[in-house]
Amino acid sequence: MGVAGDARASVVSRRHMEAGSWRLVLAGRLLPYALIGPALLVIIGVLGYPLGTLLWLSTQHYGLRELLQHQGVFVGLKNFQAFSIDPQFRYVVQVSVIFTIVNVGLSMFFGTCIALLLERVSRPVRVLLSAGLVLVWATPSIPAINLWQWMFDYEFGVINWLLTHLGAGNYIHHNWFENPIQGFAVITVIVVWGAIPFLALMLYAGLTQVPRELVEAAEIDGARPWQVFAMVTIPILRPVFLVLFSLSTIWDFGVFNQVWVLLNQRPNKDYFLISVYSFQESFRVSQYGLGSAAAVVMVAILVVVTFFYVRQTVRLTTEAI
Amino acid sequence: MNPRKLLFSVAAAFALLATACGGTTSSNTTGNESGTLTVWLMNGSAPQSVVDGVNADFKAKHPNVTVNVEIQQWSDVTTKLDTAFAGSTPPDVMELGNTLVAKYAAAGALQDISSKKGGFQNSGTWLQSLTDSCTYQGKLYCIPYYAGSRAIIYRTDMFAAVGATPPTSIDELATVGQKLMGKYGSDPNFSALYFPGKYWYAAAPFVWDFGGDIATQSGSKWQGAINSAQSQQGLTVLRNLVANLSRADKTGDELKQDQAFAQGHIAMIVANGWEVGVITDPKSGDPTLKDKLDAFPIPSHNAGQTAPVFLGGSDLAIAAKSKQQALAQEWVGLLGGTKAQSQMVTVGGVIPNTTSLVSLSSGLPAKFAAAAKVSRFTPNSPNWANVESANVLQDMLVSIFTGKSTIPAATSAANDKITNILNS
Repeated sequence: MGVAGDARASVVSRRHMEAGSWRLVLAGRLLPYALIGPALLVIIGVLGYPLGTLLWLSTQHYGLRELLQHQGVFVGLKNFQAFSIDPQFRYVVQVSVIFTIVNVGLSMFFGTCIALLLERVSRPVRVLLSAGLVLVWATPSIPAINLWQWMFDYEFGVINWLLTHLGAGNYIHHNWFENPIQGFAVITVIVVWGAIPFLALMLYAGLTQVPRELVEAAEIDGARPWQVFAMVTIPILRPVFLVLFSLSTIWDFGVFNQVWVLLNQRPNKDYFLISVYSFQESFRVSQYGLGSAAAVVMVAILVVVTFFYVRQTVRLTTEAI
Repeated sequence: MNPRKLLFSVAAAFALLATACGGTTSSNTTGNESGTLTVWLMNGSAPQSVVDGVNADFKAKHPNVTVNVEIQQWSDVTTKLDTAFAGSTPPDVMELGNTLVAKYAAAGALQDISSKKGGFQNSGTWLQSLTDSCTYQGKLYCIPYYAGSRAIIYRTDMFAAVGATPPTSIDELATVGQKLMGKYGSDPNFSALYFPGKYWYAAAPFVWDFGGDIATQSGSKWQGAINSAQSQQGLTVLRNLVANLSRADKTGDELKQDQAFAQGHIAMIVANGWEVGVITDPKSGDPTLKDKLDAFPIPSHNAGQTAPVFLGGSDLAIAAKSKQQALAQEWVGLLGGTKAQSQMVTVGGVIPNTTSLVSLSSGLPAKFAAAAKVSRFTPNSPNWANVESANVLQDMLVSIFTGKSTIPAATSAANDKITNILNS
C-alpha cells in the first residue's frame, strides 16, 4: 500500500469515527478505567484510607481523651515542629538511617554471596542449602526472635557460654544490650539472618537467567571471574537488584519486632528506631497525634529514598520495551 | 406446619428476642437479666478459687447472666485498654493498676461511682492510699481491690550459714551482703542481693528513705524532685549496694527475678508478697525452697526503722460505656466485699482493700503487710502513667548502674522529663 492507500485508510477510519456512536468511543476510552476501577477501589480502601487517616491524625492533638470521644484537636504542623527541636527525635532518625544502610548492605552482600554459591555447588548441596534457607524464611518471626533472645540471654545464654568455652574471653554475665552498639550488632545479626533467604533465592533465580553464552564469550575474551561478575552478571541482574534493594530498604527502615521482642517490650531510648518511637508515642504514651506524625516522617523518608529506585526501575522497563 | 403453629412459634421467637434485648437495657437486680458481663483481671491478681467463688455467688442471683473473666498481661495492658475504651464495647469491669486509674478517669473512660460508695462493703475502712488512687477531682472512679508492697525475701539457710540475722539498717544490709558474697561469691551466678537494673519500684524506697521524692506538686504544677540532693544520696547508696552485691542484668527488668531466685544462686530479692508463690511453684519454681524463705522490710538508713515502700495495688473500675452498670457494680462489690477479700488474704497472701481484714494475714504475708505500714504513692496525676510508659525512671537507673552517666547527670535528665510529662 502506497501513500494513496494510507490516505484512503485514514479517510475511512475518520468516516468510521464520525459514523460510529459517541457512546462507543466513550466506552472505548472509559473501558480501561472501568476495568481497573475495582482494583483501584480496593487499593484506595486498603492503602489510601489508612494513609489519609494517618496524615490527618498527624495534624491533631490526639490523646486518650480525644481517642475516647473520636474527636481530635487540630494543631496544624505543631507535632512536626516538636520533632525539629527534639534532640531525641534527631537521634532516632539518625540511628534508623544508619541501621538501614548497614542492614541493607549486609543482607544484600550475604544474599548475593549465597546466591553465587548456590549456582556453583553440586545438586545435593544446593538442595540442602535451599532447604535450609526456606526453613529460616518459614520460621515465624516472633518465635525466631525469642530463640535468639535465649541464645543471647544474660544469665543462661548459650552464646556467652560458648564464647567463654572457646576461650574468646570471659563472657559470663556479659550483657549484650548494655552497649547500644553491641546491642544493635545483635539486632543486625537477627535482621540479616532473616533477610538472607529471600534475597539469596531471588538472586539465585535471577542468576539462572544469565545467558550461558554471554559468560562463555566473556571468558573466551579473557575476562577473569570477577570481571565476568561485574561486567556481565550485574548488568543483567540490575532489575532484580533494584527491586531487592528497594524492598530491603523498606523492610529494614521499618524494623520493629526484633527490637521490641528482644528487649522485652521495654527498649530503653538508645534502641528507639523510628518505628519503635512511633509505637511508643502512640500506644504507650497515648499521644496518637505525635505517633502518627513520626510515622508520616518515616513514610516521607522512605518515599524520598525509594523514589530513586522506582525511577530506575521505570527507566529499565521503558528501555526494555 | 399449620398457620396457627407458625404464628405461635413466631410469637415465641419474638418473645425470646424481646427478653434478650430487655436484659441488656434493664438495670434492676431482680435476677431476670440476661446477657454477658465481661471482666478483665490482671495476670496473678486473684487466685482462681476466689474468682470462681465470686462468679458462683453472682450466678446464684443472676442465673441468666454469663460472666466472662479474661486475664490480661501487665506488659501490654495500656495498649489493650486504649483500644478497648476507644471502641463502643469495652469490658464492663476492669482491674486497673493504681497508678493507671488517674489517666483513664481523666480521659472520661471510667464511670463515676461516687454516689454508690456507701453501697460497697467496708467502704468506710478502705485503704486510704488505694481510695486516693481511685479519686480524681473529688470523684470516685473505682473501688480498691487489693494492695501489695515490697519487702526483701531471703534464704534462711544462707543467712544461717554466715551467721546473719535480718538487717535493721542499710549499713547492716551491706555488711550481711558482703558476708554472703564472701561465702558464695565464687559461684559466678551468685548474687547476695539480686537487683535488675530497671527495677524502679525497688529503688524508690532508697530515694524516699533519704527524704527524696519523684516529684512534688504545688497548686496544679508539678516539679520533678528526683535530682534533689536527698534523692541523689539515696541513689548513690543504692548504686554501691548493687555494684557490690548484685550480678543481675544491669539493663534487665524484674520480670524474671523469681525464676532466677528459684535457681538457687540468689540470697535476697526485693519482691512482692505474691512472688513467694511464684518462687515455690512446682512448675515454674522450686517447691523445696518453701521452708527456706522468709522476709524482712527494706531497712532505713536510720537503724531500727524501715524505708518507705511503694504501695502497689489494683482497683476495680467500671467502664463509662458499659451497658451493664448495675450488674457490673454488683460483681465488683462481690470481689471487693468481705468474703472474697478474706480469701484474698488467706489464699492469695495479699493486703486486702480494707484495714478491718489486715489482721487475717499470718506468716510471710503478715511480714509484707507490716512492711507496708510506712508506704508512699507515686504522683497522683493523669500523666503519671505516661512517665511509667516512657520508662523515664527505668532508663535513669540503667544509666546509673551501668556507669553510662553520673548520678547528677542521669537524675537531672530524668527530672526534666518528669516535670515535662507531668505538666503536659
